[in-house]
Amino acid sequence: MKRILPLLILAGLVCVSALVAVQTVMAQDAITKLAPEAFGKLTRPAAVFVHDKHNEKAKLEDCVVCHHGGKDGVIDRTASTEGTPCSECHKVKPAGKATSLQRAYHKQCIDCHRTKGKGPVACGQCHKR
Amino acid sequence: MNAAYEFVTGPLAWFAWGIFILGAAWRLYSMYQLAKKKDASSWAFMDLGFSLRSIVNWLIPFNALGWRKSPVMTVATFAFHICLILVPVFLVAHVVLWTEFFGISYATLPDSVADAMTLVVLAACLIFAGRRLTQKEVAYITTGKDWLALVIVTLPFLTGFLAYHQIFDYQVMIIAHIVAGEIMLAAIPFTRLSHMVFAAFTRAYMGSEFGGVRHARDW
Ligand code: HEC
Ligand code: HEC
Ligand code: HEC
Ligand code: HEC
Ligand code: HEM
Ligand code: HEM
Repeated sequence: MKRILPLLILAGLVCVSALVAVQTVMAQDAITKLAPEAFGKLTRPAAVFVHDKHNEKAKLEDCVVCHHGGKDGVIDRTASTEGTPCSECHKVKPAGKATSLQRAYHKQCIDCHRTKGKGPVACGQCHKR
Repeated sequence: MNAAYEFVTGPLAWFAWGIFILGAAWRLYSMYQLAKKKDASSWAFMDLGFSLRSIVNWLIPFNALGWRKSPVMTVATFAFHICLILVPVFLVAHVVLWTEFFGISYATLPDSVADAMTLVVLAACLIFAGRRLTQKEVAYITTGKDWLALVIVTLPFLTGFLAYHQIFDYQVMIIAHIVAGEIMLAAIPFTRLSHMVFAAFTRAYMGSEFGGVRHARDW
């Protein structure tokens, strides 16, 4: 019995850490915050955005509402591009009149929240400390 | 929250900016009319050169005799006004809103710098308040109007700081900040803050009289 107890504790610890490890891997998979590398070091806390829960709650079934396509300065609102990061097409410092990356996020997110009258509109509601 | 935010950043913001700009224009116009009627002789000696000479000399810290008399107030007043103007104009959050509403964007101050400058303004407000409470000769001439102006200026900076750091309830604080900012804008033409509108003309008047009539310096 005296030998089994430490073993049991050890086995318990292994199980707990495995569980934690699995959970962190899973959490990394699902988007909960937006912090695209293109910005470098963020000046504000990363915006909260729990991808699947958000779209469920906001009843957004059509992916193209956010994941549009387009090229050469013309947006294509029918071509779905889910999985392609916004930063692929929107540069942090774009040339000319193109929509910058920050503006792309702000316009897409805030415009919809304003028209729907629901969802965050002020800085700190998205950039939560 | 959304309805309140829409209201204070929409109709109320237009209203506040309208009062500020039209009010300032009206105050300048009526002062011009009054000066022409009551003080016609002064118009004769208004002089651009003497005016600018006085303005420039008073804009240099410790240059004017008035500045050298009270060094603490001079430092506080200059630091206060520089931060007071630069922070709201070049604040990231304010520029983001200009972009959101009008598509305008321009250079900004880093948040950490703006944050420190906000603290400078708040510290200066404390110094101003302390001076009005403790210095007898200042306390004697202080009226409710002086306190009102000081409170109106302090509030946008205090609430803005608390909102930025998300201290207390953010949603309440951000609405309070925007309302406080709008009250300040609308109050500029009609309170002690109207010296923003008149300051240059006051100095021009003094500069012209001292330069053109008394042949002396007014700094
Ligand atoms: C409300 C807007 C919105 C809607 C609707 C939406 N997405 Fe997204 N999605 C995003 C954003 C924002 C990102 C992050 C992209 C970035 O930052 O570059 C993203 C990322 C993704 C990614 C990349 C995930 C990763 O781990 O990197 C996938 C895949 C994706 N979305 C699939 C979908 C699918 C499928 C749908 C439709 C069922 C959908 N999205 C609907 C906004 C949305
Ligand atoms: C395949 C390329 C591509 C991807 C990926 C992409 N965009 Fe765009 N987007 C464009 C093009 C092209 C335009 C039109 C030119 C412009 O405004 O720069 C545009 C325009 C926009 C506009 C302004 C037009 C409007 O809707 O009023 C917003 C906002 C925007 N994108 C947000 C996003 C966001 C947010 C993402 C990521 C979820 C994203 N875009 C992903 C290509 C893309
Ligand atoms: C097409 C419309 C639409 C777009 C685009 C959109 N949202 Fe939303 N969002 C909503 C709606 C509607 C709600 C309110 C859901 C509710 O509470 O019923 C919401 C709620 C939220 C919430 C609060 C979630 C909660 O649990 O209460 C956050 C955070 C949020 N949105 C972030 C974002 C971000 C970040 C983006 C941009 C990447 C974005 N949204 C783009 C429609 C949209
Ligand atoms: C609806 C959600 C939402 C609101 C409201 C919002 N933002 Fe953002 N913001 C985002 C998203 C999403 C990004 C891109 C990803 C990120 O940085 O987290 C972003 C990016 C930024 C960036 C560039 C990245 C960085 O941290 O340096 C800045 C600066 C910024 N926002 C400032 C603001 C300010 C200031 C306000 C208020 C005037 C504001 N945002 C309101 C969602 C929002
Ligand atoms: C039209 C009215 C105004 C609006 C809509 C507005 C909006 C905002 C917003 C959205 C923020 C950011 C809060 C955050 O980061 O969460 C902010 C911060 C701030 N604002 Fe305003 N504002 C207004 C007027 C003013 C005025 C008139 C002043 C001062 C004279 C002012 C001074 C500040 C300061 C000092 C901060 C915080 C800066 C910091 O501590 O880093 N604002 N404002
Ligand atoms: C842009 C032109 C401006 C000029 C030239 C100017 C000039 C001055 C001067 C000379 C003083 C006197 C300092 C002293 O008491 O020794 C003063 C005080 C003050 N100013 Fe301004 N100012 C300007 C704009 C503003 C604005 C825009 C505001 C706020 C909206 C403001 C708020 C104040 C306050 C609150 C005080 C009084 C501090 C106290 O209680 O003693 N000023 N200003």
